[in-house]
Amino acid sequence: MAEPKVKYDRQLRIWGEQGQAALEKSSICLLNSGPTGSETLKNLVLGGIGSITVVDGSKVEEGDLGNNFMVDESSIGQSKAKCVCSFLQELNDAVKAKFIEEYPEELIETNPSFFSQFTLVVATQLVEDSMIKLDRICREANVILIFARSYGLAGFVRISFKEHTVIESKPEHFLDDLRLNNPWPELKSLAEGIELNVQDPVAHKHIPYVIILVKVADEWAKSHGGALPSTREEKREFKELIKARMRGQDEDNYKEAIEASFKVFSPQGISSDLQQIVNDSSAEVDSNSSDFWVLVAALKEFIANEGGGETPLEGSIPDMTSSTEQYVNLQNIYQKKAEADIVAIERRVRSILKKIGRDSNSIPRTTIKSFCKNSRKLKICRFRLIEDEFNSPNLPELQKYLTDEDFSTAVGIYILLRAVDRFAANYNSFPGQYESAMEEDIPRLKSTASGLLNDLGCNGATLAEDLINEMCRFGAAELHAVAALVGGIASQEIIKLITRQFVPMSGTFIFNGIDHKSQLLSL
Amino acid sequence: MDLQLSVVKGAKVLMVGAGGIGCELLKTLALSGFQDIHIIDMDTIEVSNLNRQFLFRQSHVGQSKSKVARDAVLKFRPHVSIKSYHANVKDPEFNVEFFKQFNVVLNGLDNLDARRHVNRLCLAANVPLVESGTTGFLGQVTVHVKGRTECYECQPKPAPKTYPVCTITSTPSKFVHCIVWAKDLLFAKLFGDKNQENDLNIRSSDGASSSENVVDVFERREGEDIDDYGRRIFDHVFGYNIELALSNEETWKNRNKPKPIYSKDVLSDELAQQNGNVVQDSATDDGLSVSAMSSLGMKNPQDIWSLSENSRIFFESLRLFFMKRGKEIGNLSFDKDDQLAVEFVTAAANIRAASFGIPLHSLFEAKGIAGNIVHAVATTNAIIAGLIVIEAIKVLKNDIKSYRMTYCLEHPTRKMLLMPVEPFEPNESCYVCSETPLLLEINTHRSKLKDFVERIVKAKLGMNLPIIMQGSNLLFEAGDDLDEDMIANYEANLEKVLAELPSPVTSGTMLTVEDLLQEFTCNINIKHREEFDEEKEPDGMLLSGWTQPVSASEKEKEDKSINNGANSSDVTVEAVEDETGVVAVGVKKRRISETSEVAANAAADETNHKQYQVIDDEDDLVVLDGNSDAGNKRKRMQ
Repeated sequence: MAEPKVKYDRQLRIWGEQGQAALEKSSICLLNSGPTGSETLKNLVLGGIGSITVVDGSKVEEGDLGNNFMVDESSIGQSKAKCVCSFLQELNDAVKAKFIEEYPEELIETNPSFFSQFTLVVATQLVEDSMIKLDRICREANVILIFARSYGLAGFVRISFKEHTVIESKPEHFLDDLRLNNPWPELKSLAEGIELNVQDPVAHKHIPYVIILVKVADEWAKSHGGALPSTREEKREFKELIKARMRGQDEDNYKEAIEASFKVFSPQGISSDLQQIVNDSSAEVDSNSSDFWVLVAALKEFIANEGGGETPLEGSIPDMTSSTEQYVNLQNIYQKKAEADIVAIERRVRSILKKIGRDSNSIPRTTIKSFCKNSRKLKICRFRLIEDEFNSPNLPELQKYLTDEDFSTAVGIYILLRAVDRFAANYNSFPGQYESAMEEDIPRLKSTASGLLNDLGCNGATLAEDLINEMCRFGAAELHAVAALVGGIASQEIIKLITRQFVPMSGTFIFNGIDHKSQLLSL
Repeated sequence: MDLQLSVVKGAKVLMVGAGGIGCELLKTLALSGFQDIHIIDMDTIEVSNLNRQFLFRQSHVGQSKSKVARDAVLKFRPHVSIKSYHANVKDPEFNVEFFKQFNVVLNGLDNLDARRHVNRLCLAANVPLVESGTTGFLGQVTVHVKGRTECYECQPKPAPKTYPVCTITSTPSKFVHCIVWAKDLLFAKLFGDKNQENDLNIRSSDGASSSENVVDVFERREGEDIDDYGRRIFDHVFGYNIELALSNEETWKNRNKPKPIYSKDVLSDELAQQNGNVVQDSATDDGLSVSAMSSLGMKNPQDIWSLSENSRIFFESLRLFFMKRGKEIGNLSFDKDDQLAVEFVTAAANIRAASFGIPLHSLFEAKGIAGNIVHAVATTNAIIAGLIVIEAIKVLKNDIKSYRMTYCLEHPTRKMLLMPVEPFEPNESCYVCSETPLLLEINTHRSKLKDFVERIVKAKLGMNLPIIMQGSNLLFEAGDDLDEDMIANYEANLEKVLAELPSPVTSGTMLTVEDLLQEFTCNINIKHREEFDEEKEPDGMLLSGWTQPVSASEKEKEDKSINNGANSSDVTVEAVEDETGVVAVGVKKRRISETSEVAANAAADETNHKQYQVIDDEDDLVVLDGNSDAGNKRKRMQ
């Protein structure tokens, strides 16, 4: 067996070979190789990312040994980027690792086109001014950007990208696609062909619950003017209706039907989330549209036409008590319908592609198939430019956070992380960086923070004294335990972004190591 | 910050486990200023560790984890003192005295058994424990301080899944049943300890022909050709035994009949011949690298093999075991990292599945099921290790108010990715830290002392070196230093039914069970009961007051269907509605992210905390709401 398969076995079980292939194709650029940055990369290198480029202009100093595992005494005086890079290379020789000995701030100023070669840029420990500039560059070049910062016991992670679309969002819980209350003709006629009152006790206890529910739902609809059970009372009645058909306590299929009866109660048609996606203006496609939006355009047509208001059928059915023959029959009917739906979508995709002047075969069938299977679970993530968030945050949210006990520390950290950058621009050091200046730094940071809050339109808002003191005590230290955690979070999000599986976090992530809290702010 | 540095510098910490979490933890400890670290791990390094256990390289495969981890960190931080033990934490050298020398114990373990053991030693030695676990993107860190917070065993832990014997031997209905059969019965019978009890034939043949005759069937005869032997085994287990089972018509009245499969049906002679030929070419490998897939030229472990391919793998892997690894036969136990063993078990399970009309699975999937394989990535371990160190520092500072149990979620919930919860008080009815007596219902006229020792004392109470007493009378004692008279005496006792012991154990008797190594004692009240349900209570005894959920295994399927719908609030309510008044809700398995909303509720309202508990047997990271009180469970649906 090929070695990589064994080496990556445990993670292949999470994101599969396609996810792994996406990782292996991607190239990542790291800005600043302190502990936050190097820990982020370490996790990706272990997982087999394609290539890394470490950008850092500094030399290793004695102090780095206290928080960065990737440098040791022999590295002192050498390029930090070089030392970190060679450590990372040792972890996995399948990864292409290189380094550039240059300060990220300078690179951002002098060579913006440098960043367009990467799949993703991880910018760690950058101050506000550089963040804003880099964000514009990456947005322009359509490169995914992720900011990560550790500051004392506080952490910050923020994704920035115009639009991230996800087909395989892998929600933990999702209702089976069974169409129990809206069966298509073949399922309907299969159900009609099965008699619930069959005499043979063996047959009776092997009718799959799907059939039982389709039939009872149909019966209910007929006697309730086409409506489904909606109130608590009606739902209870519906279950009673099933129970009444049970002949003995050992009829597992009926027990399953009762337990699964809630699947009948979910409304027909598509969810409001999906409705929003098909209504998005991007679903009006042209030659610049991405494959994802072409697929959504086809889905939209499908729903309006042959789908009859529904998405393509997923096609799989859960385990259930049944005779093998009936189960296989049922499975076939679901599969056939799913395949027919794929064919219909595919036809629409091909014709849309042709219409917008693209090669009608440019989207492979496997992609269309996976899209159909996941069409109920599509996700779109859009991230504001960091500049917009910083200059004009969502004010009602911000004010809410400031007064909400649950969020006040997180938003306090958020404000203070920005305030320390302003502080540093004014006083040429971070607050508390020099023990001797602590006394005067605290009131300075306090007034810097109030000034910032005023600029944001939160006049008169204040932050907790304790938090300001704490922030000064951090003295801009990058603690290893916090860096390891922030690096863990950042790399986890990077994996979601690159594999295009799972849904990356939206908003600004704040870790509060004082009481282990972590929250997302939508600003 | 100064205080922090001095407590960290002066602290002596014990790490148990140098795996995924352990590697990260050791590094983070060293870089956080810890100077005196001891680390225990019994494992050696595997290739599949390398995607996350970053202190290990390809060249270290096969070496001791604890030692390599120590050396790797020392290379970068030579001034830290790290002592490594390549040993099982359950070894007697790690007794209470040993534990007492530490200021805090940090667990990065992968199994429930060892976690319980360490919990007891920490309680006995009065050393705080920081416990952790991860699976995929999920993880958790919890703190356990004697008398202050709940101990690791205060809340129910899911026991490893068990299945009724007859489901495995005669009436499998899911693929996992076939895997258990292939792994625990067939594999163990052919390659494991011959003296072990094994149910492979007992139920499928009628009484008389079982024991003696059957043993011979599985033994390779003097000079028997290996291919003949393989076909004989194949025909016996997939053909003859199925025919035998079919002859018991009662069993199949309400079930679909399985179909016997014989080697002649699945292999043409030509194929069988070819089989043998291919192998000669690839004869150079040794030990664990021997593979039936590679000798048959099959590459993709994600393919689902046909019945005939499975049969070829079956014969080929059996052959390879005898030809290349003959010395190990008789001592093998299934190991998920043993490629040939995984191939054999996959093939055997698939052939059995085919016989019973159950869908076949790929080697990749089968391996996951057979090995209870945990999804594992570097990222989560890094996050969790960071949290452990932050928590350990609080423990060292005795900053009790700030202790937190933290859960790491896969999907942010209520804007949180990490969810902190204040630790619970010790559970007053916990049999481990509060010494509350347990109740055992058992048939005292039928169950032997041996059954009690195996099924209760060892399997459920997790004791290794038990002493069993009734009042001051010793009934049984385990250990190396016993004299022969006593051993003979205990041996005799083991074979007696409870009511006929020298000091009879009957309804109303209280037994005291003690583990000297764990310094843990517990009392069990005995209640006689005549009958037990073979399906639901396969042990033939029922322990209550103990922490096992009622029947996690059989519930699973239903859970899934219920939880599937949990994203619609309507559905969530339904799920609870279905359980009204049923204790089962209190013990159902739920994956943490499925309950994340619940969990977030808990964080918001601290009075709710008591009901949530994440348990991780690496494979089984689940949230249990441990409190079966029907009034409490309502709260989570607010």
